[in-house]
Amino acid sequence: MLFRIDPSAPEPLFAQLASQVRLAAARGELDAGERLPAARDLAESLDLNVHTVLRAYQDLRDEGLIDLRRGRGAVVTERASADYAALRAALAVVVHEAHALNLSPDTTLALLKEALA
Amino acid sequence: MTVSAAPAPSMHRRSTTLLGLALPLIILVSSAVLAWSWKDTLPDPVATHWGTDGVDGFGSLTGAIAVILVIGVLVTILLWAISFRTGKMSSTRRMVNGLNVWTAVLLSTILLGTLHAQKGLIDAADVGGVGGTIALGMALATVAGVLVAVVTPACAAAPATDRVPADASRLPLGDGERAVWFQRPRGGVGLAVGFLAAAGTGVAAIATSDWWMLLVTASLVALMAAMFSWVARVDEAGLHVRSSLGVPRTHIPLDEILQARATTVRCFREFGGWGWRIGRDGRVGVVLRSGDALEVTRTGGGVFVVTVDDAQTGAALLNTLADRARATHPVE
Repeated sequence: MLFRIDPSAPEPLFAQLASQVRLAAARGELDAGERLPAARDLAESLDLNVHTVLRAYQDLRDEGLIDLRRGRGAVVTERASADYAALRAALAVVVHEAHALNLSPDTTLALLKEALA
Repeated sequence: MTVSAAPAPSMHRRSTTLLGLALPLIILVSSAVLAWSWKDTLPDPVATHWGTDGVDGFGSLTGAIAVILVIGVLVTILLWAISFRTGKMSSTRRMVNGLNVWTAVLLSTILLGTLHAQKGLIDAADVGGVGGTIALGMALATVAGVLVAVVTPACAAAPATDRVPADASRLPLGDGERAVWFQRPRGGVGLAVGFLAAAGTGVAAIATSDWWMLLVTASLVALMAAMFSWVARVDEAGLHVRSSLGVPRTHIPLDEILQARATTVRCFREFGGWGWRIGRDGRVGVVLRSGDALEVTRTGGGVFVVTVDDAQTGAALLNTLADRARATHPVE
């Protein structure tokens, strides 16, 4: 999978990494049992401290999206590979309705956030 | 301009001929000469074939030497010719040079070892087993082959002088943004075939109690571990493809990448099998299945292929990072 970070963005780097794994899971791009890159490799490639990557991986483990196993690294769990198809379909409906009503993305997001709160 | 920066073909062809043709031929011919010099001390006929119960075939000394010499010379010349024609990438040259020396040393050790054991015998049927000689041959051949592969000269650095073509795919990336793309190609039909082969030799070794055959099983298992699980990575350093074992591996730096693209390969038709392959057209590839693959054309004309999912993203990122590297270190 593709990881990208933007050091100039306000979001902390570990959070940027973790949210990409969450998004990949929600898009259905991760299979259960799939291994994420080794923390050391990912840190080296993105020129990050390895602790930044480990912090992201620990957050993902706490959320139940990955298992951290000695020697095997970060492995995607069954939960992460759950079926997000219904959610994606519902989102498509939201997007369609928002377009139809000429709602701005900001307004739509605000509504979503209110509904989630 | 791009291609002239690459080493002239004669550079790699000289080392290919020296290490991949001359050296193995010298080993084979001198072993044959040495074996012939033992003529007076050897029984006539000599033992030439061993079955599960010891010697079961006899022949003349000339015949025994000729068989080894003909097989060795033919294999050597065939592989050398392939490498001479298509060895633009150092990995191809390493593999062929190593393999030719491996073959020459193995055949020579078997010839000399089996004949040496018969020196002074009146009847060749009294000679013992051949397992130890084969094990010794495998060990010597592997050491020699690896050594030759290691000393085979690498390609000289050949930075590209042209930009990545405008029509190549790109991935939108902010100026300060950093990105990496990972894939783990593994498994495939080849793994199943390899596993069956390994299991087959293991069962045969136990059934016939030819213990040295377990070496073949072990080699097959090691080969599969090296060939059927890989990590491919695209980042600021270029493309890294390495086996989970650590070797074999390859690295193509960004400044030697002319262009990357997603393509489709057919492993049998184009590469004749699975694993680290040299294709019919000279492309080098880590090919585990037919289908999507990332293909990188490098300065010097070599083309590298790796079968991965989502090759589109990998190719686009590679082109984008290559662009960026050339903008930071202008190539003009």
